[in-house]
Amino acid sequence: MTAPTILLVEDDPSLRMLTARALQENGFSVRPASAAPEMWLALESGPVDLVLLDIMLPGTSGIDLCRSLRQKSDVPIIFMSARASETDRVVGLELGADDYIAKPFGTRELVARVRAVLRRPALDRRAGAGDQGMLTFDGWTVNLPRRELSSPTGAIVDLTGAEFDLLVVLADHAQRVIARERLIELSRTRLGDSSDRSIDVLISRLRRKLSSAGAPAPIVTVRGVGYMLNAPVERA
Amino acid sequence: MRFWRRPAIGLVGQVFAILLLTLLIEFGASTLLYERASRFAVRDDEANRLAEHLVISRRLLNERPAAQRAGMADELTTERYALQWSEAQPAPPRIAPALNEMRRQILDWEPSLRTADLRVRLQSPGRSSVVTGGVRLADGSWLYFRTLEPVAGINLAFERIALAMVPAIALMVLGGVLLRRVLLPLRRLAGAAEQVGRGAVVPVQEDGPGEVRRVIVAFNRMQDRIQALIAGRTQALAAVGHDLRTPLARLHLRIESLPQADTREAIARDVEEMEAMITSLLAFLGGDADPETPTTVDLAVMCATLADDAQDRGRDAEYVGPDHCEWRVRRVGFKRALMNLVDNALHYGERVTITLLPGGETITIRVEDDGPGIPDDELEHVLEPFVRLDPARGRDTVGFGLGLPIVQLAVSLEGGTLTLSNRPRGGLRAEIVLPHSGRVLHV
Repeated sequence: MTAPTILLVEDDPSLRMLTARALQENGFSVRPASAAPEMWLALESGPVDLVLLDIMLPGTSGIDLCRSLRQKSDVPIIFMSARASETDRVVGLELGADDYIAKPFGTRELVARVRAVLRRPALDRRAGAGDQGMLTFDGWTVNLPRRELSSPTGAIVDLTGAEFDLLVVLADHAQRVIARERLIELSRTRLGDSSDRSIDVLISRLRRKLSSAGAPAPIVTVRGVGYMLNAPVERA
Repeated sequence: MRFWRRPAIGLVGQVFAILLLTLLIEFGASTLLYERASRFAVRDDEANRLAEHLVISRRLLNERPAAQRAGMADELTTERYALQWSEAQPAPPRIAPALNEMRRQILDWEPSLRTADLRVRLQSPGRSSVVTGGVRLADGSWLYFRTLEPVAGINLAFERIALAMVPAIALMVLGGVLLRRVLLPLRRLAGAAEQVGRGAVVPVQEDGPGEVRRVIVAFNRMQDRIQALIAGRTQALAAVGHDLRTPLARLHLRIESLPQADTREAIARDVEEMEAMITSLLAFLGGDADPETPTTVDLAVMCATLADDAQDRGRDAEYVGPDHCEWRVRRVGFKRALMNLVDNALHYGERVTITLLPGGETITIRVEDDGPGIPDDELEHVLEPFVRLDPARGRDTVGFGLGLPIVQLAVSLEGGTLTLSNRPRGGLRAEIVLPHSGRVLHV
């Protein structure tokens, strides 16, 4: 298998060089670009597996670039930004970026994010391309780009990263029993955020957070096998 | 917007206007009093008796030489009327309305007095009504009379007092109301001055007398200048924070090429500390996020998730409270505030308990640790920015000392209060009380 090619768009020369080196050392092939014109040239020169995009660029901003890039291709995009602003993150993700990484970041974090996005099945992305990344079940709404869960009454319900990933895995396999081992595996292939907490603890927390007045959470335990989200899931 | 702006009349002008108005009222009231008095009629026999006494006295005095007239007048004084003779007409008393109706009654009975230039006035040294007046003698000297007993039929006491009080009362009421109106903009100005430095800029409505209006205009301009100054500084500081992140990002990536593992770790820790400082600085200055709008959030789950997160990091954290509790807050800011409290608790203590107590109208969130607490006299102090409490511990705290001020800021944005106290059995308790306004009603 050839090394995945990453297009790196970053205006600070030293940071561009350092990031490129960090990626190369981890087995990626890197094509650097300093701004929009160079990025389009680099895209024309050959296929790219992933784009690492700085939000604050001279000339065209990263957000505009992301928008025009999305119109042309489904290439995975990761935003980099010095602003840890929630709006930037949400705007980026809603424009179709696959992930967001805040500056400053370490090599390990960067590589983990890049690998996680590359590993995501292409199907996952293509399914998400046509819709807004919203899942609904039993009155609950999961907003995938924002990584937010809303209750049937419309309140935002906070989940830890691992809990959210587990819920998404359960929703992807709704009304089917998933073995515990498979759950552990699946929730780990999503972002490298999953904790060492056992799946059982995460499930019991999810149940508590997903319960509503009188009604238990729609997550059932199948003794000796695993767990199941016992509600039909709709995508929008 | 008001289409019509009251012209700016000076304070002095307004006071003059108030005085003029009260004077007009006083004038009107006295005119009314005199007008009424002139129409008072006395009983006919009262007028007749006075008329006869005056006619006889005048005739007697006319017949005497001038030297004997004063004595004669004394002799003619009865228990009803006091008489007095003088060469010239003395000035009429000050408050003595003419009694035109009574004069007419007298003249009707004794027409001979028509040529005597009869004057009749009402005089009131006390509560009883006393009538005074005079007639002219043939040689131009004057005979004066004064009733010694109250004249029946003229009982003006109450009305007169009431009428005399009208101008005084009017002066007080009108003066009070008008001065209050004149000074209202000043009171608004004082209120606005009280709010300066507590967040929002509140321009004061430019209104009131010219002098006050000028003060308000100057105050508004001053407020704008201060705001611009603060905004400029904040922006500069936030920009520095942003720009520092790029070299920090380079440093972060360069660390990994260092050969020595212990140096690498030490530098990595330093870089992380710098990052934390910049993040807290930007959070405090608000340079990182756009103003948030409140959304409905399940606060119970938020608290539980904070405890879960801490547990996942291997810390001892517990959430006590209901499973669900919906409230309207600015989610990101409020969560950061709670996160700061939990981080603080776990920095100084080993164990953190997050408690949520829903009340009827308010909601209370407590974050408690088992650490050393804060000396009582420092409890207020730590809420100020850039304050650290580590004289004995050395600098083992990460950040600028902005953790608690950020919490304070976020909580006051929700209209709530943050109270720090030491728990009786040791450890710090941070208590947030959120007001009624955030309550979510499900109909």
